[in-house]
Amino acid sequence: MIALNQLRHERLMELRVSGLCCGVYAKFMRPGSHFCPNSKSGSSISSSSVEVKPKIPLYLRPPSFSASLSELKKWHRWAKNLASSVGSSFVRLDNGPDSTLLRRELNWLLQDLLELQHHPVILSLLESDSNENVDTSVALKAPLEELYCAWRQRIEERRPFQYVVGCQHWRDLVLSVQEGVLIPRPETEMIIDIVERVALKTTPKLVHGLWADLGTGSGAIAIATARALATHAHAHAHAHGRVIATDLSPVAVAVAAFNVQRYGLQDMVEVRKGSWFEPLKDIQGKLAGVVSNPPYIASGDIPGLQAEVGQHEPKLALDGGITGTNDLLHLIDGAASMLKPGGFFAFETNGDKQCEFLLNYIENDKSGSFCNVHPVSDFDGIQRFVLGFRQRMV
Amino acid sequence: MPPFILKRSNKGSLLIFQYHRTKTRNLCSSQLVPNFLDSNQNHKVLDSGLSSILLKSTKNRSGSFCTLANSSLLSSQNLHFLYLNPKGWIFAREFGTQAAVELCTSDGLTVDGIVGSKWMIVEESESDWKSHAAAIAQSIQVIKKRLQWKKLMVRLDLLSAELNKPDLWNDPVHAGKISREHGSLMGKMKVVKAFEQELLEHIDMIKLAREENDAELESELMKALLRMRRDSKDKELEALLAGEHDSCSCYIEVQAGAGGTESMDWAAMVMQMYKTWAQRRGYGVTVMDEMPGEIAGIKRATIKVDGEYAFGYAKAEVGVHRLVRISPFDSGKRRHTSFAAVAVIPILGDGSTHVQINESDLRIERFRAGGAGGQHVNTTESAVRIVHIPTGVTATCQNERSQHQNKASAMAVLQSRLDQLEMARQAQMNAQHTQSLTEISWGNQIRTYVLHPYRMVKDLRTNYEVSDPDSVLEGDLDGFILSYLSSSLDKDEGEQ
Ligand SMILES: C[S@@+](CC[C@H](N)C(=O)[O-])C[C@H]1O[C@@H](n2cnc3c(N)ncnc32)[C@H](O)[C@@H]1O
Repeated sequence: MIALNQLRHERLMELRVSGLCCGVYAKFMRPGSHFCPNSKSGSSISSSSVEVKPKIPLYLRPPSFSASLSELKKWHRWAKNLASSVGSSFVRLDNGPDSTLLRRELNWLLQDLLELQHHPVILSLLESDSNENVDTSVALKAPLEELYCAWRQRIEERRPFQYVVGCQHWRDLVLSVQEGVLIPRPETEMIIDIVERVALKTTPKLVHGLWADLGTGSGAIAIATARALATHAHAHAHAHGRVIATDLSPVAVAVAAFNVQRYGLQDMVEVRKGSWFEPLKDIQGKLAGVVSNPPYIASGDIPGLQAEVGQHEPKLALDGGITGTNDLLHLIDGAASMLKPGGFFAFETNGDKQCEFLLNYIENDKSGSFCNVHPVSDFDGIQRFVLGFRQRMV
Repeated sequence: MPPFILKRSNKGSLLIFQYHRTKTRNLCSSQLVPNFLDSNQNHKVLDSGLSSILLKSTKNRSGSFCTLANSSLLSSQNLHFLYLNPKGWIFAREFGTQAAVELCTSDGLTVDGIVGSKWMIVEESESDWKSHAAAIAQSIQVIKKRLQWKKLMVRLDLLSAELNKPDLWNDPVHAGKISREHGSLMGKMKVVKAFEQELLEHIDMIKLAREENDAELESELMKALLRMRRDSKDKELEALLAGEHDSCSCYIEVQAGAGGTESMDWAAMVMQMYKTWAQRRGYGVTVMDEMPGEIAGIKRATIKVDGEYAFGYAKAEVGVHRLVRISPFDSGKRRHTSFAAVAVIPILGDGSTHVQINESDLRIERFRAGGAGGQHVNTTESAVRIVHIPTGVTATCQNERSQHQNKASAMAVLQSRLDQLEMARQAQMNAQHTQSLTEISWGNQIRTYVLHPYRMVKDLRTNYEVSDPDSVLEGDLDGFILSYLSSSLDKDEGEQ
């Protein structure tokens, strides 16, 4: 049922927004080009005040283009060779992708480019050396010329793969992403496990409270939290709570709203534009939970970032001030007054040292405000998250 | 009601039914041959303890019942209720198992007897009922051999004894397991018994038809026998895949042997062979985990093969595959011999019992560790490695596009590995099929692929041999698989 609704939604959005590429994006896209914009314009978007129209990810576009199998094969061989030529040079340069990873991305690009049911067959035809069926016409979701351009951007300009295909797979979601919005990270997926295991399981009444995801970006945390609330509410036969997602970036607000809509969660997730808690003044002291992955990289580290990140993702999403803790400290201060007693918070941090610093800050400067405060490590063994509950009144 | 009549609804069958009822009241075998394998239905009476009653009530002549002399199954524990159904036929409700009953025609002919009498088997096109019957009887023997009939009977005996214990349901989990296995064995045997019974009934009838010069009936029966003869070939094939987990999907794993790039390339070729084989069979193929070689090929890889009987077929490929060729990676153009090991893991269905995994026994780590992670890094690599601490078994999946999904897929692989380990422990399966990659000894070569100086692929277990390696490497494996399956099953039964 849900899946069906979702599908209907996606189709609707597809119809409504197809041909959108000439909107705001016209200023940095070749006319008619869907997913191969002139590069290096990504970061300029965050300052744009024009209303932002979200881009449709490649996999949701209609298959209105075609190429012969031999043409596709030619492109595929070229793309594979380009990927192989990278070797491990990017790894040495800035810990970027190696050719194995790039070839896997190429397969995923094909997955999104082709119609789902054709994908396995065409993939095996592309891999095989035989010259059978070369005249077969293959339906594509983007024209072949753009594929050349897109793959060149991926490799020569280090444009993140997720921007190329316009989506990021994150937990069980496929989220639209585009320049101007941070691509949600695998580490961040764990925030949802924490919300479920630490908060919802131990304190079931948080399930029907009001939650906030601050600096929501693509809406990843907000959407997944809302779905977790719904699942747990269902299990306890409760009414489910709601999530308010905020972000300062207009692109993030637009993309998050688009993703919320794609998952049919308009009733559960509200996106508000503004800085951190500012758009939440009306609900001071009423929040059941606050979750956030705020910018936490120290300003001095920004220039040395991997090209995919430093040259393509928005600074606003990354730069956490001189020590990287500006926004996290602001969030901790805010949580002390915005959460209701017994309310839950979980923040992602830069890890280890920064995490320790924040734990100290909470213990010394916020003593009495929170309880059960502790760090949680990510799968790399780095203490990545701080979490806790607001102290109940005594 | 004579069961074989029910199967057909055309006019001819109806005729037989009429004929049967009116003309052959004294021909009891076909009515009294026990339809005994279905414990949920009313059964015709079948055991010797009851046959005397029956013999009286149906005026049967003696000799219609052939029971095995040592039929321990026919103990007093097995309860039978007799009653008369409205049509006047006598049935017994049976709560035991009488698998040991051997079926026969009214004049005592059994399937083994038919094969033993060496009736000439001629072309299908010739209307010779003895030839048809002999061919079918032979197939029945092959099918039983492949199903490991004798083992099944022993097992069934054991399960029935277990089921008859009054305290069985004190342990409902155990009881459920026993009764499920009992049911599935019964089901498997019932199909064969029904086929056998049908053959014997047809023989009775065709003899009768000839005695009575009923040409119409005779030709009807000849057609039926021909149909059975054709069916029996399919059933022989089906019987190759009757193992407990044969119908499961599976993982296929390939690992390169020593020898650097050449053997990694060979491992990749072997993996490609399975991918195309599986795709041609209509199975879904997903790469779960792949460790590419530095220059070419793979160090190891795991694919998931989705579809019915994937495990049943693929298990025939377990072992070491050897390649002889001029290596394209050798500038000196010398001949090289390389090895690749293949393991196959069944993916047990929801109905089977899985090993319980405690979350506290797991260590989950990033597949490619190191680096600052988080916002610093944008990578599409989100794989995790799951380690089951008590056993040291690990699993990884890199194929999925989110960490959550990679973790879920790796968990599924881990579950199957642990299930397989447990099965190996219980030695429920042919030991070889349960070997994991690490256990397969490089000495256990099952097949050789020679590309130079001559061209040939030969299975060392069956001596099955093909002179066109390209077709094999393109996934044309069924010949190897089927010949191995039949030879291994036929051998097993012989060793009993
Ligand atoms: C590291 S990103 C996280 C995005 C998303 N939550 C995720 O995990 O993928 C930080 C987000 O905070 C937003 N942000 C930065 N400064 C902000 C502020 N003052 N108020 C609200 N959001 C802000 C950025 O636009 C960006 O979307």
